Amino acid sequence: MNRSAGVVIVVIAIVLFAIPVAVATNSIPGSTSPPEWVDEPAVSTAYGSQEELGKVLFFDPRLSDDGQTSCASCHLPSKSWTDGKALSDGGTSNLYFRNTPTLLNATKQGQAFWDGRLHGSDPATVVREHIVEAHFGNLDGRLMVERILQVPEYDAAFRDQFGGEPSFGKVLNAVVAFLNTLESEDNPYVDYKGGDNSALSDEQIAGLNLFEGKAGCSSCHSGELLTDNDWHAIGASDNPEIFTEPERHITFRRFFKILGVGTYAQLREDIGLSALTHEDSDLRKFRTPSLLEAGATAPYMHSGMLATLSDVVRFYNDGGGSVVTKDAAISPLGLSESEIAQLVAFLESLQSPIEPFTEPEIPSYGLLTLGGNQ
Amino acid sequence: MANLSFSHKLLVGFIGSLGVGLVGVIALTIWVFASHSNTPSRPDPITINPTAAIGSSGSSVAIKDITSKLARELGFDVMPAVTMPLDNPLTDAKIELGKILFFDSRLSGNGLLSCATCHQPTLGWGDALDINFGYPESLHWRNSQTIINSAYWPLLFWDGSTKSLESQAKAAWTGATGQNIDSMLLEERLAQAPEYVAMFKDVFGTEIPLFDDALRAVAAFEATINTVNAPFDAWIAGDESAISASAKRGMELFVGEAGCSACHGGPLFSDFSYHNLGVPANEKFVVDPQRQLAFRYQNRKKGVPEHDYREATNDLGLYYVTKLEDDRGKFRTPFLRDLVQTGPYMHNGTISTLEGVVQFYNAGGGSHDNKDSLLSPLGLTSDQVADLVEFLLTLSGDPIIVEPPAMPEYEVAG
Repeated sequence: MNRSAGVVIVVIAIVLFAIPVAVATNSIPGSTSPPEWVDEPAVSTAYGSQEELGKVLFFDPRLSDDGQTSCASCHLPSKSWTDGKALSDGGTSNLYFRNTPTLLNATKQGQAFWDGRLHGSDPATVVREHIVEAHFGNLDGRLMVERILQVPEYDAAFRDQFGGEPSFGKVLNAVVAFLNTLESEDNPYVDYKGGDNSALSDEQIAGLNLFEGKAGCSSCHSGELLTDNDWHAIGASDNPEIFTEPERHITFRRFFKILGVGTYAQLREDIGLSALTHEDSDLRKFRTPSLLEAGATAPYMHSGMLATLSDVVRFYNDGGGSVVTKDAAISPLGLSESEIAQLVAFLESLQSPIEPFTEPEIPSYGLLTLGGNQ
Repeated sequence: MANLSFSHKLLVGFIGSLGVGLVGVIALTIWVFASHSNTPSRPDPITINPTAAIGSSGSSVAIKDITSKLARELGFDVMPAVTMPLDNPLTDAKIELGKILFFDSRLSGNGLLSCATCHQPTLGWGDALDINFGYPESLHWRNSQTIINSAYWPLLFWDGSTKSLESQAKAAWTGATGQNIDSMLLEERLAQAPEYVAMFKDVFGTEIPLFDDALRAVAAFEATINTVNAPFDAWIAGDESAISASAKRGMELFVGEAGCSACHGGPLFSDFSYHNLGVPANEKFVVDPQRQLAFRYQNRKKGVPEHDYREATNDLGLYYVTKLEDDRGKFRTPFLRDLVQTGPYMHNGTISTLEGVVQFYNAGGGSHDNKDSLLSPLGLTSDQVADLVEFLLTLSGDPIIVEPPAMPEYEVAG
């Protein structure tokens, strides 16, 4: 024998050792074949896209712990995907402590939530928080997946649209696919900016000129979405109901405790961004919301304390509220009454018409053959 | 070897060492499988006075004219005093606080479920269902066990998966099929009631109520719920007339032909161990979609190999805790006190009556690949079955009724 034959034998031996290792580690998780349903279910073929599937999930209350609350419970299509309340209800037996924002254009913005705690490039994590966290859906994610797996329509739709059986990540991505379809449409301001000079009235155009000029709104409410995706403190007042309604104060305290705010029990104000950064300079800073749908999403501010657009304009005209970290750009505007009216008229143009919306039918659980590739 | 060239020696050396390695791997594999034993990898359960009259098969020794003195010699007795962990001594104030927490339905995700919801005083501190309801939309998968005598368990749940009564309260409060409340949210609900704050300060010395202390208080309350006035206890203490002749015959069978005391021995009538009886699966998992998904959720949560998750048709019991094949389908030997109040029976409530239980054992249990070899058909007559049931009834005491206390009220914080 010569050296090269020896090398060949050694290589073969190593390969023989390696094969079992490769086989053992090569199992692909997730069943590739559908489960055995007891009755052949009448599977709807209506979920022809990821967005369609996501839409049904959006309206499915089984994505909350007790099966009573869906995304649509606080983000109603008939109210521009908000709830028209000053403060959100939150989930199950909680009440929440901030205003529900609209979902129109939400996935295009830089951050999510009033304190901007989640990044806009990751809307799936925003969906996750709504399903799992104690102040919202309060549902164990693994249990949520099992509920989805028990629905024949969902199982089939995820295989068709996402290439495999339902999983936690796929559910999030399906909802995001639906959220991505929620954008301003036939919005007069957007149309005007797009070249349709008749989309705004003369008074509204005058208001737009104030918005971009004397009133200085566009120094923060800038760009296509009318937000700079940044945080500012403007001194908007807090909602006293947070502290007078026990169910809200409980949720409030738990939230700030979770974020590691040592004074969570003594707080009597919403400290905004500083709860995340623990920097005094971030006290009561909130993110600049997009104003594209402001005409339809009263009441306003993180606290819902400004009921109308007129209240908002007057608030800024007075130079905002009182807070030590107030943004230098906020100061009295000296607007006349007619200028206030023009600005309000412009802000009212910022809304897409609310179209009639048919809520999807929620598919039922099906019965599996126990033990049959469930 | 001396005549081989260097490359030949190298080659022989390589193959030789591969061979040695292969032999070593094979030897290691054999050793691992051979040493794989039936013993769980956690501390041995407490054994309380295993009955002396029973051989390892648990049958064939006939006792006649049993007396309480003989029964005591066999290891039966009144219940010992409850022992609490060193970090949770019993005090009246703590027990009172625990009672309030036990009945407080605000301490749940939906604000509607207290411990008492599934452990109702008027239902033997269980729920009289075969399988517990669980949480709305999140159904449970096992029978709700009684609180009565629960402080005697070193490990809780049908599969011994939690290490203390205090930990059980945590699992139930935070579990998705229990009360499903986040522990920090629970703390804040307590903090919203000044009366709770004052009680926690009084009992535990803390400025704010802490979740772990709430667990201790609940366990302290539960430790006071124990069998009261069971005829058996009067008898074992020396009052020979405290149980009927039929019950005495039943006990003779219990420690003799029927072999029950092989597992159900001692003052608490349990060996604190785990056995597979071949209890049939509950049909709910075959016919109810929400129970099916509940079953899969438990398998996923407890961690099983994928083929079990996909193909399991039955509760794997102790296996979930130990991951030992021999522990599949084994469940805890429950105490036999207060059975009158705690039906239906077994981990999945599939046997509704005590007579049904005795007939189950009379038939030699059910069928399962891993069924305990202690079980075999007993050949009892219907009179003997009746006597055994009569005996079991003497282990039940008075209903333990506790009225729900007034709840501390939320107040607006200053």
